[in-house]
Amino acid sequence: MKKLYLTRKFVSYNKNHAKSLHIRALKHKAWKKGVNISELGHSPVERRQTHHRGLNNHSYKRIIAPINFSFIDNPNEVSSFIYKLKDAFNKRLKVFVWLDDVTKIDYGAIVVLLSIMIKYKSSNIDFDGGLPKNKGARKLLIQSGFFANLYKEFEMSDAYKIGEYDNEGICTHAQKNVDSLLSSQLITNATKTIWGETRRCQGVQRTLIELMQNTNNHASIGLPGEKHWWLSSYHNRKEKIVAFSFVDLGVGIFENLNNKTEKSKWYNWRTRIADRLKYGNNAELLRLILDGSLHRTVTESDFRGKGLPGIAQVLSRNQIQNLHIISNDAYANVSEGRYIKLDPPFDGTFVYWELTKENENKA
Amino acid sequence: MKTKPKITLSVADEFSRTPGPRYEVEGDFSGESFRKSLLFPKLNKTIQDNSLLEINLDGTAGYGTSFLEEAFGGLIRHNKLNRETIKNSIQIISDEEEYLIDDIEKYLDDAAREAI
Repeated sequence: MKKLYLTRKFVSYNKNHAKSLHIRALKHKAWKKGVNISELGHSPVERRQTHHRGLNNHSYKRIIAPINFSFIDNPNEVSSFIYKLKDAFNKRLKVFVWLDDVTKIDYGAIVVLLSIMIKYKSSNIDFDGGLPKNKGARKLLIQSGFFANLYKEFEMSDAYKIGEYDNEGICTHAQKNVDSLLSSQLITNATKTIWGETRRCQGVQRTLIELMQNTNNHASIGLPGEKHWWLSSYHNRKEKIVAFSFVDLGVGIFENLNNKTEKSKWYNWRTRIADRLKYGNNAELLRLILDGSLHRTVTESDFRGKGLPGIAQVLSRNQIQNLHIISNDAYANVSEGRYIKLDPPFDGTFVYWELTKENENKA
Repeated sequence: MKTKPKITLSVADEFSRTPGPRYEVEGDFSGESFRKSLLFPKLNKTIQDNSLLEINLDGTAGYGTSFLEEAFGGLIRHNKLNRETIKNSIQIISDEEEYLIDDIEKYLDDAAREAI
């Protein structure tokens, strides 16, 4: 064997091979040095983001988030963004959420983004995203736990928790059942931020229970307890405001009503309400739902504080403020009485409200 | 007029400070569970003893409507109690959320109407 390795042919091959390996190593070293210099001062998340774009750009469908990524301020563009994500999910496409140009992001958009991210990950579809260049938007997104969980694996589960309660942190919970203990704990935390002590806010508790119950009973037609609700609370300690965002990616209010069976009081409800409508769109109907008149007309009885009109009642009792509701193709800024048609529709229900020092509470 | 002897039932002290959903399968501290474990047994005893059940709703974190509807409306639907009997046997205290008393009266009326 030794004789073979010493032959001129082998020595020559070995020499050339070593030389080419050395050249390749030097080139790689120079490239790596360049990359390291270009990434000086960047966080690990930003570094991963840069690498990702270079390596996998072609295998991921890039979906660009709106510049104003706020579901309550810019509902149409955010709904369009969600629609694209849902479409990609249905086609089982890997996605990269492009957040570079986002200049404004709010807690409502974040909880929707988190819920979609977990939906992808628990279905084993790759989901990735970048950092906004804007400092404020970037800070909020990092606080939400979005990036901390972006590269984690998630299994199908009945409950999730993302983020921790820290200074100005956003904590997000997901479940399928009604969890009145969790909602009470979230309210306790909120009151500590607002009043500096533990208080009870029965209006917020009612709002949360009604929403959880709605998701559990109605988010998927004929299959109670099938869909998750997602609840995020953001503590603005400086202004002493706690913002709550609730979302379920179910069928939405109107699709649920449209699918009522003959046994239900709501069967064929649109016909019974038709003469009361001016435009006939769901935004107009949402107004009638919230003031209780749709319930009274269709069922011939009062809503008795139940469901969405019950939540509007909580607002009118000054137990919460800045209430927004989005479902299917209807958007409502309930506090300002602004109702608009959403295009494209949002498959699910989104509710946002705030709790401040001005709101009713009990010791 | 002779006043009836009272039995008390405090939701916060005897059941939970965080009343929950309608049915037991939907989550903890449900209206169904409250009715089965506390409300109906105590109300039944009250009716037998010809006394008055004072139900105190104060001190909780707050109520969902389904909890109250199932707890009280369920007395007529599931426990087959008479609306008038219930009316004569209970007294609801709700100083913190006064509107709950009115809501419960209506849940009982609705359940009685549907039972016919």
